[in-house]
Amino acid sequence: MENLASNKISIVDLATRNIIEEELDDDLVLEKIGGAGITKSLYDRFADEDPIVLGAGLLTGSLVPGSSLGVITAKSPLTGRVSHVPLSLDAGMELKYSGFDYIVIKGAADKPVYLWIHDGIADLNDAGDLWGKDVWAATDHIRDLMGDDLIQVLGIGEAGEKGSDLAQICINYWQSGDRMAFGNLFGKKRLKLIAIRGMGLLEIAEPEEFIEKCAGLLSAVKSGGAAGIRGIAAMAAAVGEEDLGGWLQPLTHKHMACFNTSVPTNTFVFLDEDPALLKETAVAEPGFLLTDISPLLKLKKLGLTASDACRVLKACATYGIDGASVAELSEKAGLTDPEAIKSSFPSLKGPVSSSGDAVFSPWAAIGNQEKDAWMRRQAVAYIFGIHPIFAQLAPELTEEKLLDISSIGTELELTSETLEEVIADITG
Amino acid sequence: MGLKIDALTCTACMACELACGYHRDDAFALLSSCIVPYRAREKKNYVGIILKEEDSLVAARPEGLEINRIGQEQDPEKEADASAKPMLLRESCDLCEDVDDGPLCIKFCPVNAISMD
Repeated sequence: MENLASNKISIVDLATRNIIEEELDDDLVLEKIGGAGITKSLYDRFADEDPIVLGAGLLTGSLVPGSSLGVITAKSPLTGRVSHVPLSLDAGMELKYSGFDYIVIKGAADKPVYLWIHDGIADLNDAGDLWGKDVWAATDHIRDLMGDDLIQVLGIGEAGEKGSDLAQICINYWQSGDRMAFGNLFGKKRLKLIAIRGMGLLEIAEPEEFIEKCAGLLSAVKSGGAAGIRGIAAMAAAVGEEDLGGWLQPLTHKHMACFNTSVPTNTFVFLDEDPALLKETAVAEPGFLLTDISPLLKLKKLGLTASDACRVLKACATYGIDGASVAELSEKAGLTDPEAIKSSFPSLKGPVSSSGDAVFSPWAAIGNQEKDAWMRRQAVAYIFGIHPIFAQLAPELTEEKLLDISSIGTELELTSETLEEVIADITG
Repeated sequence: MGLKIDALTCTACMACELACGYHRDDAFALLSSCIVPYRAREKKNYVGIILKEEDSLVAARPEGLEINRIGQEQDPEKEADASAKPMLLRESCDLCEDVDDGPLCIKFCPVNAISMD
């Protein structure tokens, strides 16, 4: 496919270290549209080899509001279901511009490796130096090695290396929406991390019309219900958890957005620095980026202070374990001391309700939505590459408008009938 | 007349950078933009926006504006990022002179952090 794509799929065999490339056929896009539609199709094709499939949505990396989402599709070791996990922050965008549309990782390596994706090149490298490092140290190591602080790192820590049921793939230094223990899969495959840098270019079939439509969508979103929502606490308040704001406010440094996402859904807290500081801090690691409401609410309900809760979540991110599961199991075990919670990481086991009962990560389940409607909206977000929380906050991005703008950008006739089929396929 | 950037309002979403890239390339790309959110200090959450103008590099930082004249000797003590993009090689901001309703970075900023000065 020539437009809104790099026209390349990489198939990486960890066992043989063989990497082959295929073109992204228009026919596949016409049949599966993109994002989770295609990652699921590729998963099915290589299902016998327990694949992990990465991809970006059809509109990821464009000027369509909220176009930040990438997706990882694999069978969850925690639930046994083929599931989809979001790649938020800048990871989905960097993947889109990396020169690959989709990456299939199959088999298992005999010793630790990492995958380096950039400029249309996929390289498997020895990760002997990285194995044993926590998530933060591994991210620092790979960025220093490549001399580029903008590399996005999808990596595991001790939890993934040691086969924890609750191991999470983290994004750079932060917790991700991986509630499906895909970090455990990375560990089993001896895949320490995937480093991604995107510096490519995406052609647009009808650029002026596409940009005009993007501007129209942004204008609608800016005057819609999501306008003014800033950060984790505001999102919690929007779903009836007003208390979080006052609890978190003394630590709040700044609200941060995922790529081209109108609502900043993340909040950076300073734990070892004055949150009101405006200049660059001299403290190397002053705090933590909160990316997930659920564990925060659970830890608050356990009676932790905001500082202690954020430090627990920072420890989850360095260890590479899902914070929502940690909070759930801490509650079950009656643990309320932050140090005791951190000490419990190696012994925690599933199943947990934090993984949800759907094929999409419940990371984006905010509020009390009807399940079928939530599933459908998630499916649409994962197909087109729209931030899955933002997609719920911005109903202005209708399915019809997303299909229309996709057809304008690709010059392919994408129909509502096809969308129905793809939604049915990926929601199982 | 130029761009006015509010670094405290900016959420580092990069919409301005992508819009500027589109203005240069009629495609989506990030390497030719003259406006770039500064996001290399991720662990410190220190973000701002760098703008290449005709004769200066403007850094809109949380603590205020810094204007560096192009060609002027820089402070050798200042640490440079390994990932710093070669801003000096890029086209200067032309305020999207061929766009009827003004600069695209302003149009696509979701939080109104950029305006005309």
